Amino acid sequence: MMASSRQGRGGLSLLVPYVVLLAVVGIVPTGYAIYQSFLARSGSGFGGISAYHDAVTEFQFASSFAHIGLVLAVWLPFMVIGVMGLALMLHGQRSRLVGVYRFIYYLPGALAGMGNFVLWLFLLDPVNSPVRPILSWLGYSTLNQTAEPAHLPVIIAFMLFFQGAGTWILVIYGGLNGIPEELGEAATIDGASRWQVTRWIKLPLVRPWIAYFVLLNVAYASQLFLEPQVLGLATEGQISPQWTPNQLVYTFAFQVFDVPAAAALSVILLAISLVIGVLITTRTGLFSNRD
Amino acid sequence: MAIGSPTGERLAKTGRAPVPPKVPALLRLRKMTPMTFLTIVAVVYLFVMVTFVFAAMRTEQSLLHQGAFGPLSLSRLGYDWRQLSGFSSGVYFDWLKNSAVVAFGGAAIAVAVALPAGYVLAMLHFRGRRVLLFLTILTMVMPNTVLVIPIFLEVSAVHQIDRLWPVAVIFGFFPFGTYLAFVHYKTTLPFELLESGRIDGVSEIGLFLRLAVPLAKQAVALVFFFAFVADWTNYFLPLVMLPSSSVQTVSVGLQELITSSQLFNPSAAAGLNVQLYMPELSFAAVLQMLPVLVVFIGAQRYLSRGAMLGAVKG
Repeated sequence: MMASSRQGRGGLSLLVPYVVLLAVVGIVPTGYAIYQSFLARSGSGFGGISAYHDAVTEFQFASSFAHIGLVLAVWLPFMVIGVMGLALMLHGQRSRLVGVYRFIYYLPGALAGMGNFVLWLFLLDPVNSPVRPILSWLGYSTLNQTAEPAHLPVIIAFMLFFQGAGTWILVIYGGLNGIPEELGEAATIDGASRWQVTRWIKLPLVRPWIAYFVLLNVAYASQLFLEPQVLGLATEGQISPQWTPNQLVYTFAFQVFDVPAAAALSVILLAISLVIGVLITTRTGLFSNRD
Repeated sequence: MAIGSPTGERLAKTGRAPVPPKVPALLRLRKMTPMTFLTIVAVVYLFVMVTFVFAAMRTEQSLLHQGAFGPLSLSRLGYDWRQLSGFSSGVYFDWLKNSAVVAFGGAAIAVAVALPAGYVLAMLHFRGRRVLLFLTILTMVMPNTVLVIPIFLEVSAVHQIDRLWPVAVIFGFFPFGTYLAFVHYKTTLPFELLESGRIDGVSEIGLFLRLAVPLAKQAVALVFFFAFVADWTNYFLPLVMLPSSSVQTVSVGLQELITSSQLFNPSAAAGLNVQLYMPELSFAAVLQMLPVLVVFIGAQRYLSRGAMLGAVKG
């Protein structure tokens, strides 16, 4: 192409800040963590895979991953069905309320993180809860009863749905809006029912978004930290402080001061997200890095 | 056929008379169901948010005895404010200030870095472009918590823990912003425009400043919005990077309020000089989300497009 031959080198200097940050915040810490993960526990000298051995044989290691599996088992179906259902229902409506509802569903996103967590403490603690009748019908009269460890997967699923579903509804709704209306109309004229239009036209066309959505949420769930951590603090230790892998990393780094083991576990978690990230980038077809 | 042509016209073209809706009542009820369902969900959402905001304007006694709704008083907000100001000599306001520094700083850096990078990735051809784009998308879809401990190890190796500036710089790395800017320029800036500029002898930097920057409004709004919300609500990174209470951000500070509260930690709160019950906690949580709400309202008209570009990150 003519452009490339005439284009000077000057333009590339615009990339420098980004590449420097990518190195300082992404590549260097990754390399440094890999280096640390091969140190001996004393912090000096080569330790081989002893840090990985320490991390993997820690008795909370398997259970923390099992907890992530439990959260995913509850949250993922809840999220996929809820988000797809609400987005498809919204898309079928002609009412002006659609915009209002989309906004209402999105609002808790502004409260994300700790704000959302405080809101859920308010809901879950029977002392103040606006849904106390429901909690007492379930037999809970204290926060420690509502938030007992076995309930955590369901509670976290609710918390994450409330703060995240609205954004995803916007995304899927946007994807549905990209489908030409004629497609559905033609099928309707040919006698397709509303369900058939949804099943055979709308769903296949937003499928890449659903794949993206599932993979991204699996990656996100593997990184859970805030919800179990602070809920554990608020219930005076009835929830293990190593409930998720990230909490285990945190414990290794800041309570046990076993930096090589913390680094080793970080590298393991990084590898998991990296695999999911590569799947999203190369398999969903959403991000073509060609032209 | 043009999209959005009136239904009547389209029906006329297909040669069918518009059929007046003669649907039995029961079927009409079934047709109403999705809307009813959507309304119920919206009402539940509003109920939760409204009762939470209202909790800041009620007394503990009212929350305890009157259920979801009770008398509201604006003067209660003043009481909440005084309790919050009294907590560790007003550290809450330091937290707000710290959050402002790292979130505004981080979002500003993100915009300043992402805009030129997205432009170069979209408009210039160079070796390594594919690799850089791949790394951008890869880091964008990975949860940002995954690098927190490695980054902590790096920053503590250079003894910069408990400082705000490294947090702002780390927040400044926002690959999703670069991707947004990339898509923005790919779809709005024609190559021919750059070509004619080059023929006129404009430098590459000059092209960016004169052609790309004036077109950037939408991208700036989106990148700033998403970066700001992500930075303001981030919890894990500031928790690890800013261990001292006075340099904490507000989202970690809220955790300190919870663990100091008489409600959740009566024994530790025995010596506390202020009341930290649900009204005060709700006040503290709602107050700290106002900046997010303001930025959200400011960016709202740009959002539907951003959402379509895949505006979601963990």
